[in-house]
Amino acid sequence: MKLNTQQLIESLSRDVPRVGANALAKRIGFGIVGGCLVTTVLVIGVLGVRSDWQLAVLSFSFWMKWTYTVSLGGIGTAFALARLARPISGSLRSLWLLAIPVVMVAGVGIHELATAPPDTWRALWLGRSWIICPWLVLTLAAPIFAGLLWAFRTLAPTRLRLAGAAAGLAAGAWGAAVYCLHCPETSAIFVITWYSLGIILASGAGAVIGPRLMRW
Amino acid sequence: MAESEVQLKTWMMGGLEGDAAAHAALLRALVPLLHSFYRRRLHGTKEDVEDLVQETLITVHTRRASYDRNRPFTAWLYAVARYRMIDHYRRRRLSVSIEDLEDILISEGFEEAVSASLDVENLLNTVSPKQARAIRDTHIDGKSVAEAAVGACIGESDVKISVYRGLKAITSRIMGA
Repeated sequence: MKLNTQQLIESLSRDVPRVGANALAKRIGFGIVGGCLVTTVLVIGVLGVRSDWQLAVLSFSFWMKWTYTVSLGGIGTAFALARLARPISGSLRSLWLLAIPVVMVAGVGIHELATAPPDTWRALWLGRSWIICPWLVLTLAAPIFAGLLWAFRTLAPTRLRLAGAAAGLAAGAWGAAVYCLHCPETSAIFVITWYSLGIILASGAGAVIGPRLMRW
Repeated sequence: MAESEVQLKTWMMGGLEGDAAAHAALLRALVPLLHSFYRRRLHGTKEDVEDLVQETLITVHTRRASYDRNRPFTAWLYAVARYRMIDHYRRRRLSVSIEDLEDILISEGFEEAVSASLDVENLLNTVSPKQARAIRDTHIDGKSVAEAAVGACIGESDVKISVYRGLKAITSRIMGA
């Protein structure tokens, strides 16, 4: 028996909770913060905080890594918020902002290479964890992606592939930011290669599964 | 009688504040709007249109949080309605002929959305006279494509293309291109 439209409207109007002006930002923020908490527990519980953290937090390289990942995460989140969670998505031109942290860290990396003897370049670039770093970033992005997915599923994205990619980017970058608690690598050229690769993997995974899971 | 953008938005804002009566008034006012939206685009059965109208009402209700209060309500509504329709095609695995595609892609409610803050005539002056006439005939004066084609002594597909290109040019202008 099909519901008649009048009855449908009546039943929908029986429960009209208030929706605050910042409801959308709150949901996305909640998804990210919740995901980051899970990721933090994983990093601390499974990987362990780097043993030299007291020294590390005073170092340039730690803050460089953090600034890089947090700024990418911030830009990705802002996009998810302002453009992709609503049915009318505006211009994506401001995506070029992503280039700023990339260019800055790449600049630091080039400076590192220029001031280091060429026979150490390989060690700077590969560090000790290049094989595992991108995969850890991808894995640590998963809880944050799940949080964003939860938020997006209650909103109304219409460009699902793009929304998935942005959510993946944000999740990868925030995951990488949390991973800094564990990762002992110090060179910018390492970060620009392997961290970025992990974030790109997360973004690509988001673009692949976004249209499946965000459909409404 | 179709309600104005201003009235619809007032009800929407009321509903977002938790006013159930305003919310019900909004949903009731949307029924005829959505009916004509889907009837124009869907060459399907009456049940399909009815289903889509109901699904869209539910979506408007459950995804209210995705409405940006600083933007026109009708633009949001029709974006939701278009998504519902595309999803409808996807679920039924129907394909759409290229002729009908343009009916789906045109932005309904475009003029209401725009006239809220901008002068339509000024915008029409920014596109070619042919495009401006085609848009005015079909979207403001409510003529059919065939009538507009006869009036302007051009082909029907020419009218459709002029409308599509003209609206696209105006949209990109408004989006701050």
